[in-house]
Amino acid sequence: MSPEPPDVARRGQWLRGLLDICVLALLASGESYGYELTQALECAGLGQVQGGTLYPVLLRLERAGLIEAAWRAGETGPARKYYRLTAAGRHELGAGGAAWLAFAERVGGILREGGVE
Amino acid sequence: MTDQEWLVRMALELRRRAVAESRINQTVGEAVAHARDSGQTTERAFGLPEAYAAQVASSLMAHVARARPRIGEVRLAARGIGKRYRRRWVIRDVDLVVRAGQTAAVVGANGTGKSTFLAICAGFLTPDAGQVTLHGAVGFCPQDGGTLDYLRPAEHFALLGAGRGTPRAEARRTGRDLAATLQWNADSDDQARHLSGGTRQKLNLVLAALGDPEILLLDEPYQGFDQGTYLDFWDQVWQWRDRGKAVVVVTHLLENLDRVDTVLDLTPRVSEAEA
Repeated sequence: MSPEPPDVARRGQWLRGLLDICVLALLASGESYGYELTQALECAGLGQVQGGTLYPVLLRLERAGLIEAAWRAGETGPARKYYRLTAAGRHELGAGGAAWLAFAERVGGILREGGVE
Repeated sequence: MTDQEWLVRMALELRRRAVAESRINQTVGEAVAHARDSGQTTERAFGLPEAYAAQVASSLMAHVARARPRIGEVRLAARGIGKRYRRRWVIRDVDLVVRAGQTAAVVGANGTGKSTFLAICAGFLTPDAGQVTLHGAVGFCPQDGGTLDYLRPAEHFALLGAGRGTPRAEARRTGRDLAATLQWNADSDDQARHLSGGTRQKLNLVLAALGDPEILLLDEPYQGFDQGTYLDFWDQVWQWRDRGKAVVVVTHLLENLDRVDTVLDLTPRVSEAEA
């Protein structure tokens, strides 16, 4: 196993607060299922998100009406639960995503003033 | 631990936490699919089965924050309502005003006239004193009855839909969708008399909501529901409220009272009870 990067604990904390908005963003381009979402997150450089972390987030988003789910047979093997964005989810993605970008920009401002490049 | 053992332990823990059977099946199915796709064991992907089940259960119960719309116009105004059986007043001088986007709970011990009051609001009983004014269509879910023994669920939807001017296909689709929010698959070919008590109540509740009435009057509609479905029922109530409905729920369970807008307690005050 490769050694964990030094900021791994911090990244875990960031991701806990942002996984829901990231999932909404990934679903904006089309429906997907749990495992595919973990792969997409990993490809995007967010590291390996375990099922035990992802599925409770999906469940909360579903309960909040931001995504909806349907069971469907995949190309191979038994059925998978596919998730897609609802209108409320699209709205939340826009509002929550913009709020995060504005916040990250302010954090960046403070860090740059502190001499971080 | 084999995947099989993991799944059994997870399912047992979900059941112990009173999660609805259909939701347990979905959670198991999803974990199986994930393990197969990822090539990981369930324990590696999800951690300890009991811990994962606890997370799932708490996600199901998570309070869902929604933007509430503005409180709208008065939908139901009951003023000075009284009802007498022979010489005894069952209820007396009862007032209740519910606006669009509000929820009211009617509480009180058995025999304090909760169902009587709701039936008066719905126009099924005539009060001996006072007056009820309604602004909007009413969906009424009585405590029992309200379903027809020899009809299937889909036939109920079509029939009640017709009474409210909803086309057959649309009524059936709306009925099925509403049933699904209560973890019930209403495609069943069983006649109502063969449904369990809890399922008949779900049918009853779906019927009250068909045709999208502005006012929903629900008389303890969750009797026979399991814990998971009970939570889904209240979720549905908050959704109706947030969509601008006026909702009145008769209940003897007090746990959700902190979230309703008005609590009408029909327990007689001592002086009246003695009078």
